Amino acid sequence: MTVNEIVDELGAARPRASDALRLQVLTHASMPPTRPPSLGERVRRPRRAMLALPVAAGLAVAAAVAVGVTQSSPAPVAREAVSSPSQDTAVRSVGAQPPAALAGPQVGSATSQSKAPAPAIGRAQRYTATLTLGVDDTDALSSATQQALAIARDLGGYVVSVQYATGERGVASLTLRVPSTQAATAVTRLSDLGTILAQNVQIDDLQESLDALGREIERARAEIAALTAAIDRAETPAQRARLVERRGQARAQLRELTATRAATSEAARNATIQLELRTDESSVAPVGGSRLDRALDRALAVLAWEGVVALAIGVAAVPLVLVGLALWFAHRTRRRRDDDRLLAAS
Amino acid sequence: MTVDQPLEIRPPRSFAEAAEAHLDDVFGYLLYLTRDRETAEDLSGSTFEKALTRWDRFDPQRGSARTWLLGIARTTALDWFRAESRRRRREEAAARPEQVDEAFVEGLSPELETALAALSAGEREVLALRIVLELDGDAAARVLGISPTAVSTRLSRALKRLEEKVNER
Repeated sequence: MTVNEIVDELGAARPRASDALRLQVLTHASMPPTRPPSLGERVRRPRRAMLALPVAAGLAVAAAVAVGVTQSSPAPVAREAVSSPSQDTAVRSVGAQPPAALAGPQVGSATSQSKAPAPAIGRAQRYTATLTLGVDDTDALSSATQQALAIARDLGGYVVSVQYATGERGVASLTLRVPSTQAATAVTRLSDLGTILAQNVQIDDLQESLDALGREIERARAEIAALTAAIDRAETPAQRARLVERRGQARAQLRELTATRAATSEAARNATIQLELRTDESSVAPVGGSRLDRALDRALAVLAWEGVVALAIGVAAVPLVLVGLALWFAHRTRRRRDDDRLLAAS
Repeated sequence: MTVDQPLEIRPPRSFAEAAEAHLDDVFGYLLYLTRDRETAEDLSGSTFEKALTRWDRFDPQRGSARTWLLGIARTTALDWFRAESRRRRREEAAARPEQVDEAFVEGLSPELETALAALSAGEREVLALRIVLELDGDAAARVLGISPTAVSTRLSRALKRLEEKVNER
């Protein structure tokens, strides 16, 4: 028997199902499926899986547009929230003076957005203010820096240092000194140069120190006068020499006390104001462009954020997916080999 | 005239139509695999039950209904072979002889029938698909989960072995 004859015979004797089986299968086949597809089966469906990606992309875009539209309106509340100063006024008393008295009456006009506390009139106080302002761009930064210098000079003060840097984010740091009597006015006028991001005013009372120094100086002077008189009355050279030495020490102490009082008076006379101007986007209220532009900008920012998150998830998931694929492939290969072995042995 | 096109060139309109058209193919394939009519009938019933629950997943663009049904039949048969293998191992101690239905296909000569019984299920499987059911190489490869080249190789080996078995008697 040749191969061709075998093939012919096999092809001619094609098995047929029995009538009973046919009836059973066809009866069953004409009924609707008794079991709905499970969730896993539904997820595995290629068509639905292919739909998942565009649906997810659509949801991401819709979310971005919704956020963009809702956050693009020029709501005054939002602007206020951004530009509201985090005013932190620290008042430290060095004497028995109550803090309320330290604030004292305002010096100069305070009609702008910031009403800084002023040093008390008639008392020596060290006034230190730190002010951080946001400006729109580098042009505004340059202009505000120039105006700050002009304000310091206008109020009879001077500039201690200026640092000015532009780039992606411009920053100008100024250290200004103005007469203490003009300190509150200076802070108020400087606050008008931008949006206040932070403000800190510290007032240290120096009057008690100055009074104590004055008393010490008077006492030293009196001691020197007494020693001078004693020197004149000295009876022996040794006694005279001892008194001269003590007078020399008293004079040195007097010089020291006088210098300290001069420095303290100088500190009380001029206030120090640290001013920082920034072109930080987050600090600037959205003022430019139409509402559509702002909505688009916001939507793009949200989309970019979503993209970053998706990328991060992808980067984290790729190794797991690769391992899963490798395991699945190995399992399938092994299963096929087992099947072949099983059929070969049966 | 798409309404009257044969099932070979158009997808079936319903599961019932597919079952009616391919019942003999599924049964014949399972009969060659198991060499037992009763088992083949049971497995055919199981195959169509599974196929009915999965019918909404059938995609005509990925293959014909016949190939899809034969794939399910193969999975069903493999499950049965595994169960049989476990059962045989358990009953090995009792030394129960394996039941062999020598005349499992009607119309074959006794020599060919006996020679077929001497082949493995894997060899009978490829003969059933390529010669009895006349599937082309690609369709048979899809059912078996191997390449068309591997199907050709497997078929030629099975035919050679069948020829040897027939002629050695």
